[in-house]
Amino acid sequence: MLRVTKNKYTMNTSTAFIILTVAALIHASFQLGTSMLTLLSSHTIGRKKSHARLLLLTNSFVSGVLVMTILLVSFCAMALLRFSGTDNTQILWVAICGISMMLGISVWLFYYRKEKGTSIWIPRAWAAFLTTRTKKATHSSEAFSLGMSSVIGELLFLFAPLLVAGLALIELTPALQLAGVTYYGIVSSLSLVIVSALVGSGHSISRIQKWRETNKGFLQFAAGSGLLVLGFYLYVNEVAASASTIAVGGM
Amino acid sequence: MTTPAIDTHVVKRGGARTTERFSPEKLHASVQAACLSVRSPEGEAEIIAHRVVAAASQWCYQKSTVTSRDIRRIAARGLELLHPEAAYLYQTHEMVV
Repeated sequence: MLRVTKNKYTMNTSTAFIILTVAALIHASFQLGTSMLTLLSSHTIGRKKSHARLLLLTNSFVSGVLVMTILLVSFCAMALLRFSGTDNTQILWVAICGISMMLGISVWLFYYRKEKGTSIWIPRAWAAFLTTRTKKATHSSEAFSLGMSSVIGELLFLFAPLLVAGLALIELTPALQLAGVTYYGIVSSLSLVIVSALVGSGHSISRIQKWRETNKGFLQFAAGSGLLVLGFYLYVNEVAASASTIAVGGM
Repeated sequence: MTTPAIDTHVVKRGGARTTERFSPEKLHASVQAACLSVRSPEGEAEIIAHRVVAAASQWCYQKSTVTSRDIRRIAARGLELLHPEAAYLYQTHEMVV
């Protein structure tokens, strides 16, 4: 798994992409964007707007999410690149493993509110603002901005997978970094693409929402467990394995 | 719409804003939107909204003040009988985000 080059330990490309995939899938399991997309679709249909307008708004929303995710993961990678070095990288991995595991436990405990519906644990004023703005959105630019805001609104939960992805990205070559950023953006938006396709193909919004509400416990458990497992895997693969390689190399 | 005028005042959610007169048109629009959101045909949505508003107006009759939550609850109860899917969306749309 690890390649040793003059005391610098870098992961190979396939490991980096596996980490990116898992981080992106965890990112995709967070639900603020899906909630807002459901609300946006329901209000657009309820206002008797055309199907073309519905598709335009949902696609704009998904594009907004995709763009903001790519911007954030690129920012994380760039910021981590500035701090990383031969020694600092290990410290960064340890810190990110800790953050990931702590956040995993927090998601288990807090992600969804203990009430009917799919309200999540974000400040209520922010949730009310997003709800109001989503209901009023009629233009594609508004939907695009809402998509971007949904990523920002959930940053409290998203920063662990974003940091993990950032740190995995800086281990890649520049050309692969670009591919990695795009790949992360696409995989993390998959849940929204699926909901958008379901709405676009004529599925009932209430059935989608009911499914989300029925399975919210499972989604919460999956996201929390994903973060815990990812944190543990990274600790074993990037921290403990490197430490043992150094110890063996020093003997 | 043939709903008679009702002199009932509605206390808005949270009680912070001023009260307003009960508006059957407003309730009609929200129930109709809920039905349309679950892709009911327009005619069906119109009929269902009309019936729900009639039931809610009857409930409001001779009450001087009600809360918007009361109206929503009564409307949801009526809608549940006529279109359960729309009623689900109507009841939970504030609890999505």
